[in-house]
Amino acid sequence: MTEPMDFTELTCTNLMIKLKILLNKLPQGDRVAFFATREQVDNTCSPFSGQGYQVSWDQEAENRYLVRLGK
Amino acid sequence: MASSTFFFSDLLSGERLGWVGETLRASRATGHLNTTVFLTGDALYSLVDARTRDSWRALAERDGIRIVADGDELELHGLQGPVASGSPWVTVAGSQDEAPFWQSLVSSLAVAWKGTKEAGFLLCEGPYMSRVTVYMVRFLSAVQAGSLSPELYTYLDGVHALHNGQRPSEFENIGRAIAAISASAVQAGRDPWFAACSRCATARGYYQMNPGTGFCEPASAIEEIAIRPLKEILSRFSGNLPVVSSASGDVVPEALQKDRVPRLVIFIARPPYCAEWTFGGLSLALAAAMGGIPATVVFIEDGVYALHGSHQVPANDKVFNVQEMIAVTTDVPDLEYFVHGPSLEGRGVDLSPGFPMIPRIGNEDLARELLKAEREGAASRLIFF
Repeated sequence: MTEPMDFTELTCTNLMIKLKILLNKLPQGDRVAFFATREQVDNTCSPFSGQGYQVSWDQEAENRYLVRLGK
Repeated sequence: MASSTFFFSDLLSGERLGWVGETLRASRATGHLNTTVFLTGDALYSLVDARTRDSWRALAERDGIRIVADGDELELHGLQGPVASGSPWVTVAGSQDEAPFWQSLVSSLAVAWKGTKEAGFLLCEGPYMSRVTVYMVRFLSAVQAGSLSPELYTYLDGVHALHNGQRPSEFENIGRAIAAISASAVQAGRDPWFAACSRCATARGYYQMNPGTGFCEPASAIEEIAIRPLKEILSRFSGNLPVVSSASGDVVPEALQKDRVPRLVIFIARPPYCAEWTFGGLSLALAAAMGGIPATVVFIEDGVYALHGSHQVPANDKVFNVQEMIAVTTDVPDLEYFVHGPSLEGRGVDLSPGFPMIPRIGNEDLARELLKAEREGAASRLIFF
């Protein structure tokens, strides 16, 4: 199991790009895990659920969430 | 009918002057464009350089384009004499003249952007290494003197302008100048809006995580510039106000419809990796498009290298692969990509087979793209990265 990547310092736009690149390379059924801030979860991660992806997250600290995104 | 104002402070190559000239000429043929070009800094060399001066002469004498040169900077660069004697088609405007350079620029922008109450500067260069920060101060001082509210958006290395405790021995203190403009605007009852991109500020150590709260806080930063997310800064671009950068322009229709959001046209003109320009320009365009601002990205001059070959990031490197970045964003609504054919041909390189979806355009197509928003009553902002 690889360590979740830390994306908390990316802008929402750059996180969206990063996730689209990762999802393009992801085999069907796999998922990526990464840390994100509350704002990133709301603005960037959540909208992926409307595009057919599975999105879930757990709060790890005050403003740090472990997000799992899969297809 | 539309007006167009260009501002150049960087060195202007023959290549740039060539395509800008042809595009303006094509625009004027189709759209009645009144154009004024303001030149300061290194861009002034193009008025005397044998590789570019005849292009300016043709644009001024044949096409009626007004060229205004910064008289103070001409003196600094030792160009006052040659330009005064050899280029009568240039309007030289010094600070002691009746219509000083910076006031003329602000006035020209204010006339085009009818009724604007603000004018902004997008600063991408850091103080002392780059004199663009001095031009930013001159511009915002003229904005303030012209009874408009000054706005400053610091981006990429421009965020270094917010470092506190600046104490240059030989140069104008940029931090102190920003504070003075802000104080002067507040005293005049205006609302200065000075911001730094949070991503750029975090990367450069001005926005640090407080482990106790999990949120970032400004560090070593002057109070006058607030650190904000890029999308918040770009929300200012939704408004109809002029925005100037080290190399920039605009097209503003005479019948400007104030409810229309100005289009953002980003020229990616530098190679992709050795500096942050390409990533910064693409990020700005993407964030704009995702924030509801129609954006066009044109890969031009050395910027075409972003689309040439197949880029692979080595396993031990940490950098955004700009080709992957472009490939996954061609479906973003309100975002268009183009590549400038003459720039590819001039370099003898071609578009990577991975980008068949990016149209190759010439100067006449580019003119049509630049006038697209104008036909719908909206302005366009042009920024070179």
